[in-house]
Amino acid sequence: MSEIEIESRNLDLWYGSAQALKNITMAMPEKKVTAIIGPSGCGKSTFLRCINRMNDLVKDCRITGELLFEGTDVYGNSVDAVELRKKIGMVFQKPNPFPMSIYDNVAYGPRVHGLRNREELDRIVEESLKASALWNEVGDIPDRSAIDLSGGQQQRLCIARTLAVKPKVILFDEPCSALDPISTAKIEDLINTLKHDYTIVIVTHNMQQAARVSDHTAFFLLGELIEFGKTKQIFELPEKKSTEDYITGRFG
Amino acid sequence: MTSLISPATSNRAAKVMLWVSASIAILTLMFILGYIVVQGLPVLTLSFLLESPRLSGAEGGILPAIVGTFCLMLVTLLSAVPIGIGAAIYLAEYAHEGAVTRIISFGVECLAGIPSIVIGLFGYAFLAIYLGFGFSILSGGLALMFMVLPWVVRVSEESLKAVPGGLREASLALGATKWQTVSRVVLPSAVPGITTGVILGIGKAIGETAVIMFTAGSSLLMPTSLFDPVRALPYHLYILASEGISDKMAYGSSVVLLVMVLAINLAAVAIQRHYGRHHVRN
Repeated sequence: MSEIEIESRNLDLWYGSAQALKNITMAMPEKKVTAIIGPSGCGKSTFLRCINRMNDLVKDCRITGELLFEGTDVYGNSVDAVELRKKIGMVFQKPNPFPMSIYDNVAYGPRVHGLRNREELDRIVEESLKASALWNEVGDIPDRSAIDLSGGQQQRLCIARTLAVKPKVILFDEPCSALDPISTAKIEDLINTLKHDYTIVIVTHNMQQAARVSDHTAFFLLGELIEFGKTKQIFELPEKKSTEDYITGRFG
Repeated sequence: MTSLISPATSNRAAKVMLWVSASIAILTLMFILGYIVVQGLPVLTLSFLLESPRLSGAEGGILPAIVGTFCLMLVTLLSAVPIGIGAAIYLAEYAHEGAVTRIISFGVECLAGIPSIVIGLFGYAFLAIYLGFGFSILSGGLALMFMVLPWVVRVSEESLKAVPGGLREASLALGATKWQTVSRVVLPSAVPGITTGVILGIGKAIGETAVIMFTAGSSLLMPTSLFDPVRALPYHLYILASEGISDKMAYGSSVVLLVMVLAINLAAVAIQRHYGRHHVRN
């Protein structure tokens, strides 16, 4: 087993007085794909958003326990959420390109982090669009508005935009739920390629997707981590009854 | 019980009545515009636009009033836009909903409800006398700012709040700071809406008389500094008509005022087009 990149230890999370995550302990290995599955409201997206501290934006959100990234608690006093998010990128459920040109979308991250050199930006934009399998489609129209792209292209642009910041981890929050099957297949192919260079955590409500793209799978139910293991084992020989019920479609 | 009128008949009747309403609205507008233009056109010559008035405005042109109006607008714009947008950004992006935001919002609402003559009086007492700006472009422009500010704040706040939350999240997730997110993503996305608010405000300000007669003065001389008094076009128009100096000249001034308002609106459309090119759809 490869090295552990992200690890949560006894993580609890409350929204006001409602506990959304209960004692989550799991370790996500480097340069592997970890899938988090479970029915709606099970806390899988909430957990994902703990990793890059997006829950900081939520009022009345309280977290206890530890969430280690490269051995450091991301909720420690010395950690700056802005710096953390440069290393842990995120792709969201609904494609959310900025209302700017394709080029400006990809260059946004590097620019925000102070890069001004046009040649360097050109190079990063080209690399990122190639790595997100979008270069062949938009490489010759970088000045077109990102809003004109199809939903699937927009989502790959969002991936390119994330890659441009050169993160170590990419979090995917149900990245295909707004996409058609062909666009979904392209994103899945992309995830299979990206895992050679990045640690990936993907939340999905599509179990076939989890089975196709992930190395490890975690099953969440009502804020608890029910089972975590190799994807093959989870899908073929689940230890817990509720895991089996869920993946065989008996509920959820 | 069935209705006495068949659905087809009421459908036709509704269509006719709606058509009549729309026609009356448009015809009224056309009539007012047409009447003013026809009355004002004979005096509209180049010398009317480029000369100073003689005999209290009965002869000559209206150049100082045009320049005065522009100067007032400029002071109003340059003060209301940064303050208004700043307040809106604070309310929409930074302040947590609570007592403070409610008090600020309530204050803004109240400011919007103050009759313009009261703002004029306040401008006179505070700006002209207390701060010693006298009857001047500065006093008039700032008084107009008090009037315009609530519109700018409210419309800007609404426009900022209408920017999809997903864009903020996307920016923050890329490691942008809150201010980078607000200034590079949220604010540009809100520009079309904010522009509309500013234009509405300026459109009100440019036709305003009560606020400026106590603050900007009524001098017909060409202003040379921010501290010089000016007579804005609507006030010039008011004096020409109310003191029976010249109806012809009053209509001429009205046409110029209308053209200026039209020009501002066209500028707004241009700005909206420019910033709106990445928007809509999906």
